[in-house]
Amino acid sequence: MEFSFMYKEGGAHPDEQKGFTDSKPIIDASVPKLMAYPIAMHIGAPAAPIVEVGDQVKVGQMIAKEGGFVSAHVYSSVSGEVVAIEKRAQAGGGEVDSIIVKNDYAYTRAEPIVKPGYSSETSNKEIIDTIRKAGIVGMGGASFPAAVKLAPPEEAKIDTIILNGAECEPYSTSDHRVMLEYTDEIIKGIDIVSQLYPDLKNIYIGIEDNKKDVKEVLEKATAANKKVAVQTLKAMYPQGSEKNLIKSLTGREVQPGELPADVHVILLNVSSARAVYHACELGEPLIERVISVSGAPVKNPQNLKVRIGTPMESVIDDCEGFSEIPGKVLSGGPMMGGAVGDLSVPISKGMTAISVLTRKEAQIEEPENCIMCSECLHVCPVSLQPILISEAFERGDIEKAEKLGAMDCIECGNCSFICPSKIPLLENIRGAKAAIQARQEG
Amino acid sequence: MENSVDMKKAQNKLQVGPSPHIRTRRTTKSMMIEMLIALVPPIIAASYFFGWWVFVQLAVASGVAVLSEYAFQKMTHRKVTIKDCSALVTGTLLGLSFPVTAPLWVVTVTSIFAIVVVKQWNAGLGNGGIGRNYLNPAVTARVCAKIFFTPFFTDWVLPTGFSAGPYGGVDAVSSSTPLEFIGHGAQSVSNQVPALRELFLGVNLGGNIGETSKLAILIGMLYLIFRRIISPKIPLLFIGSTVLVMCFWGSFDLEFMLTHALTGTLFFGATYMATDYSSGALTPAGKTVFAIGGGVLTALLRLVFDYPGGLGIAIIIMNICAPFIDQKLMPRIYGHKKRPNVKFDRQNPNQL
Repeated sequence: MEFSFMYKEGGAHPDEQKGFTDSKPIIDASVPKLMAYPIAMHIGAPAAPIVEVGDQVKVGQMIAKEGGFVSAHVYSSVSGEVVAIEKRAQAGGGEVDSIIVKNDYAYTRAEPIVKPGYSSETSNKEIIDTIRKAGIVGMGGASFPAAVKLAPPEEAKIDTIILNGAECEPYSTSDHRVMLEYTDEIIKGIDIVSQLYPDLKNIYIGIEDNKKDVKEVLEKATAANKKVAVQTLKAMYPQGSEKNLIKSLTGREVQPGELPADVHVILLNVSSARAVYHACELGEPLIERVISVSGAPVKNPQNLKVRIGTPMESVIDDCEGFSEIPGKVLSGGPMMGGAVGDLSVPISKGMTAISVLTRKEAQIEEPENCIMCSECLHVCPVSLQPILISEAFERGDIEKAEKLGAMDCIECGNCSFICPSKIPLLENIRGAKAAIQARQEG
Repeated sequence: MENSVDMKKAQNKLQVGPSPHIRTRRTTKSMMIEMLIALVPPIIAASYFFGWWVFVQLAVASGVAVLSEYAFQKMTHRKVTIKDCSALVTGTLLGLSFPVTAPLWVVTVTSIFAIVVVKQWNAGLGNGGIGRNYLNPAVTARVCAKIFFTPFFTDWVLPTGFSAGPYGGVDAVSSSTPLEFIGHGAQSVSNQVPALRELFLGVNLGGNIGETSKLAILIGMLYLIFRRIISPKIPLLFIGSTVLVMCFWGSFDLEFMLTHALTGTLFFGATYMATDYSSGALTPAGKTVFAIGGGVLTALLRLVFDYPGGLGIAIIIMNICAPFIDQKLMPRIYGHKKRPNVKFDRQNPNQL
């Protein structure tokens, strides 16, 4: 049933499609001969390679150094020889410099980034430094460097940490399984992060109500900590978007141009919290993550613990390949994920899932005339009027598109999804945003 | 791997494109078909009460609507859009809006008027077509028909069952509609008005064929709400506000109030006509104002202005107001303090 029965506003209900993988335990992915590490797996300046072709590298050795304040280090996830540094296709489209390492299957480990064994005496600065050193980025898809996000100016007076476990994209189940199987590591990660904020009052773990098993496990694990509250939210897309989650859990709204820290909130994906634990407690940099590989054309959909840098085709092979020619292979979910045109694209830090659509599912019909059903208004999580922005853009009236709030669009894709006339609303809004930006830059 | 597709072959066939990568299965056509499904209960009730001739009337009304849309679009060199079934919906709605005694030529003329003048030509107010007409085609056409062809709308006959022939059959007995007894500024129910149960079921009731059985309309309304084709607040607030005004006017006389709720076009109009997408309000708050405004106006037109057929006029007035209501009630964008202040334009950007 695609539509829930009663009429609701402020969200859509695409088929969840989580049944492929949500009850499957995480297993280790196989590691191929050649691994590729793009130097830009994050928002911000690309990292700069610090190894040369012919160098021997170890597991957990830094191979590219951050390229600025907003940037992140890149580590090798295997041991072996650097065989090339060249342009390679990446998930976001286009090509990016990538360091290619030939796996020697010895898995020789490099020195830990910090002395293992985090203690509560560690200073805030040391924690942030460790997170920075580990190259941690937002692992829910946004890939924003965590060290920058977790260290807002002191005036921000962070009073709430929101742990994002909503996972509202169809197909994706990696966060679900991580919460279930690595509960303790996540909780320890939260403990470390919560130490950073003296004004902290609440820690919310936001999950959708389609993950009842997770709620029980988390509540049990956090029973001792009075600050932590596990909050179930209605399963709805895009429940897990930053703005939406803050509003749902704290009632606060982030003003245009502001960050969550401006409303005293820090948001962290559950997998990022786990990575914080691995860095601070075990001295491990970010070299692996859990992803779900799902969709009807995948023969044996799985949740896999994958070394970062593993090409997609290897991961798909672990799932026994395709049972039919797929229509689209997506890095992420079908609502916000990117279509991948090359299966050699490596798994990056922010890749939550590989979702595969059949050719039928991927087919998008020709647009027809708008019938003014106003569904796009109802499903917009930030209360825009997508059809009016889209039409203003088609008329070339950029000023009007801006007044209608085009720049506030979070690009969740609900409007295009819900439109019965199949009007490419989000595409037009993106066009309007680009035109507005171009105009502002003169 | 056995039975698996070759990776290279799969790779070569991969499609790319911007997100989102999935679309709802719902289409314009499927929504119009759901609308037609919701009209099935009133159609069954109409044929049960007024006879098989009802089907002839409906066939003429919807056939002419579809043909005139086709002809208009051909003649003006526009893309022919009869396949979206919207003209079929308008035609069927219109067909249900006549008494069984209405001659077929009246039905034909009204149907052409609805599609050509109101929907496609947009009453001369701008480019028309689906989603762009300011006025509701079915409502506007029937209001005009009622003005120009008055004699054919006063000859109400009581239902004589399915086997009745054209124009109500030979046994047809003329009657007045119940609304005519409680209109004209009355504050209580005259004893000539049928019992509430009869009003609700449509038994022994003269009137427009699709509108006499409120039960059938209610089933259609619930279907539309549960299938998420219409917002429940439109029919509920519309009927609710008419009833509320009647409640005060009749000094809380329950019978008076319910009789008003169950007479005339109120149920039919609030369910199938006030919920029209293109002539109604677009914004969530606008829909609320549209429905309450329509309901109150219907009540006032019935009472103060001594005009029993007020619903059509009320909807037309609200249709005209809808863009202005929307402009004032655009939703506040997340994180903003004020509503956007932009001229509300509903003209098609892609048409000449």
